[in-house]
Amino acid sequence: MTTTRKLTVNQDIQAQNKRRAAELRSAFSDRGTFVVNLVSSPGAGKTSLLEATAKYWGNRRRIAVLVGDLATDRDADRLRPYVPVEQLTTGGACHLELSLVERGLQRLPDEDYEFLFIENIGNLVCPASHDLAEHLRVVVLSTTEGDDKPGKYPKMFRTSQAMVISKCDLLPHVPFSVDAAITDASLIQRDLSTFPVCSTTGEGIAAWCGFLDDARQRMRNVAGRHQEHVGN
Amino acid sequence: MHEISLVRSLLKQVERLCKQNDGTAVEQIEVEIGPLSGVEPLLVREAFEILSFGTGCAGSRFVIHEVPLKARCSDCQAEFELPSFVFVCSGCQSRAIQITSGNEFRLLNVTIQANQAANIPKPRGGGYETEHIA
Repeated sequence: MTTTRKLTVNQDIQAQNKRRAAELRSAFSDRGTFVVNLVSSPGAGKTSLLEATAKYWGNRRRIAVLVGDLATDRDADRLRPYVPVEQLTTGGACHLELSLVERGLQRLPDEDYEFLFIENIGNLVCPASHDLAEHLRVVVLSTTEGDDKPGKYPKMFRTSQAMVISKCDLLPHVPFSVDAAITDASLIQRDLSTFPVCSTTGEGIAAWCGFLDDARQRMRNVAGRHQEHVGN
Repeated sequence: MHEISLVRSLLKQVERLCKQNDGTAVEQIEVEIGPLSGVEPLLVREAFEILSFGTGCAGSRFVIHEVPLKARCSDCQAEFELPSFVFVCSGCQSRAIQITSGNEFRLLNVTIQANQAANIPKPRGGGYETEHIA
């Protein structure tokens, strides 16, 4: 004897993943690790930005990087001279998922990093829909891509909290207006902090690193208050 | 094409629900997709047809409701529909707006054929209601 039954679920398809990401983010906060998810088109300069960031800080910050790539570990090889790096080869997937990040974390030599950078797959579409337990999502937009990109990829810019405009040394040679890019992005996300940089010369990197330090401090203040509250 | 990975997790969820409720077949699956969900309804449907082949969901009706992008203005409290991805209040032009609908890909309900059972077990931590149709 069978019956027809309607089961009402009414739940986000990624609800389980979002819960896990929130748990992991909270664990990172308690450890003092500030997690940054770097997203961009391919070739926008994510690896160069991380090289410049690691060079600027030298031994003054404990940093680790998880690098996502469809194939090859070329980006990981570039970063290895500066920081501990784990390669997450997706074998064709167009975005990183939390399970890959968790696997990469287990392979890192330590746990007490001040900053963990996740270099996502170069793609302005799919990574926008996946929470990797980051505290901060940063979209890197290079001057060679055109200043009209924010409006064309609204979800990515809406879900980011900061925008790095890279390859600013090329501004005299390309039709790109920093102001136009900022205006376009602010129609999608008004609270986007913007950092024009040139990773090869180091221009703008000090301001970017200062912003990361401030953001990590804010996370620690919140985590500290949370622990006090739990302690009471 | 990350629709593939999302639809794969949707199918797993539906099959788990069906099993928990002593289901013998899945008749219909209803989902809701918003413009800011990051998924394309057409690609979701294609992914469903490819991935459901050979599973308990094969042959079931897959209903997609496309919901509009709606927001509330934090300054003038107006609630309105956004015609495009320009996140500005249509009333007072403020950019302090909160999205209230349209950024999710949700599973609304699943209709199953099930063996008649006196007590339907509910999954741990999972909240859903059942409704007898026939």
